Amino acid sequence: MSSGQNSGGLMSSAGLVRYFDSEGRNAIRINPKSVMAFGALFGVLVIMLNALTV
Amino acid sequence: MGWKEAAEPYLTRMPTVSRPEGHVPFKRKMAWTAFILVVYFFLTNVALWGLGQNATDLFGQFRSLLAGGQGSVLQLGIGPIVTASIVLQLLGGANLLGLDTDDPRDQAIYQGLQKLLVLVMICLTGLPMVFLGGFLPADTALASALGIGVFGVKWIIFAQIFVGGVLILYMDEVVSKWGVGSGIGLFIVAGVSQQLIIGLLYWTGAGTGSMGVLPFWINVVLGNIENVTASSLLFNSTVGLLPIITTLLIYAVVVYAESVRVEIPLSHARVKGARGRFPVKLIYASVLPMILVRALQANIQFLGRILRGWLGEAGMPNWLGVYTVSEQAGLQVAGGLFYYLAPIHSPSDWMWWVAGVGGAEPWQVLLRVAIDLTFMVIGGGIFAIFWVETADMGPEATAKQIQNSGMQIPGFRQNVGVIEKVMERYIPQVTVIGGALVGLLAVVANMMGTIGGVSGTGLLLTISITYKLYEEIAEEQLMEMHPMMRQMFGNE
Repeated sequence: MSSGQNSGGLMSSAGLVRYFDSEGRNAIRINPKSVMAFGALFGVLVIMLNALTV
Repeated sequence: MGWKEAAEPYLTRMPTVSRPEGHVPFKRKMAWTAFILVVYFFLTNVALWGLGQNATDLFGQFRSLLAGGQGSVLQLGIGPIVTASIVLQLLGGANLLGLDTDDPRDQAIYQGLQKLLVLVMICLTGLPMVFLGGFLPADTALASALGIGVFGVKWIIFAQIFVGGVLILYMDEVVSKWGVGSGIGLFIVAGVSQQLIIGLLYWTGAGTGSMGVLPFWINVVLGNIENVTASSLLFNSTVGLLPIITTLLIYAVVVYAESVRVEIPLSHARVKGARGRFPVKLIYASVLPMILVRALQANIQFLGRILRGWLGEAGMPNWLGVYTVSEQAGLQVAGGLFYYLAPIHSPSDWMWWVAGVGGAEPWQVLLRVAIDLTFMVIGGGIFAIFWVETADMGPEATAKQIQNSGMQIPGFRQNVGVIEKVMERYIPQVTVIGGALVGLLAVVANMMGTIGGVSGTGLLLTISITYKLYEEIAEEQLMEMHPMMRQMFGNE
């Protein structure tokens, strides 16, 4: 970072999946908390199913 | 009317994680990243429901690179995302998509297409994994208890890994939008670091093969280990001197190479004295394209394993692949086309004077090393070029960015075309050299062995992702210090 010029998008260390600022206006928006909650609940559900059938 | 108009209504409707409104404080960003990491580790430890005995890992030795956990709901890891990315890079690099990523409408289509491809890849890797070849066998007891048959249980298993694959995709999106860095980078770093730490410290009993680097060397010094030979001290693929030196050397080379750059001087067109430099780094395309080359090799190997599992031992022609089955290692390729296309994973794959190398002749081993090297060096160069083009880091895109920021190259006319010409002298060459160098490094690291047996590519990725993360965190902290900084960097 020599001059600040390479920040602000000049040298993007893009991940494998790219996300842009503009998204489809009619896209379904998911709250990030819902993603986390769903992940955690899904894990707990599978663990419980495992425990019930052993 | 092209495919864009036809697909737009569907692709733009793909669910997306909402963007934060306004500035997210650095601490909040770190918290999101940490939360996702916890959920990720939790899910890699959740065993699939309905999984029977004798499951083997389809990913085999590619596991550390593709993250996730064998037999867990995150069975697929980032595999589908990486494979989808390969397809997108190839399509985008060859300019077959016809999408202009500066146009907001095309951006939305691109993002939708990206998600759709990942979903397709989840099915393409998940379905054969469950239904062909018995990599994830169904629990027969559960099948009879539920009365839905083995086929029904297989669908239940597929449903779980499908949900796991989708979760990885959305977790990546949460980290990208709300956290620091990218989720995929985070998952790779998490997996590889875990393996490195285990490789350093693990301890399951006495003997060379059952302890990590630190316990091993302490015991060697104390004289507790019998039958120590010079060859085992030097060449042992996880605790010997060679893997320790290789790991440190790769670390040093990557950190050094991150700072090697060609700097193109810039000056402001209006403000005299305002100067800057545009750095074209040696590893310009970052190490990420490397994972694409490795994933291509991994996909070739999956194909072999699936064919072998599907056709059985008798049905698989010998010229295509000869597989050995063992208790600990599972399915191993030992001959035929798929053997030569398999990358070298560790010293025991090629050091025929130390290890058995599965009974292969030296010339066979050398041929395999040569194919792996060619694949990685040439593949590294090609994918680096594609990466630079699709990530808008190519001459044309950078010239536009420099022009828009009001800078020019001193001594040249202030014109996009002129800047592009100058950039064309450096960016393609540096990209190819960097890509090929990283490919070479990855193969050498695998051949020499690394601590904990992490793959060379995994190690390279981890170091360079961590370095980028460090830069990003430094930048974030700078912006936290003063709101003015945020305006300067252009992120409100």
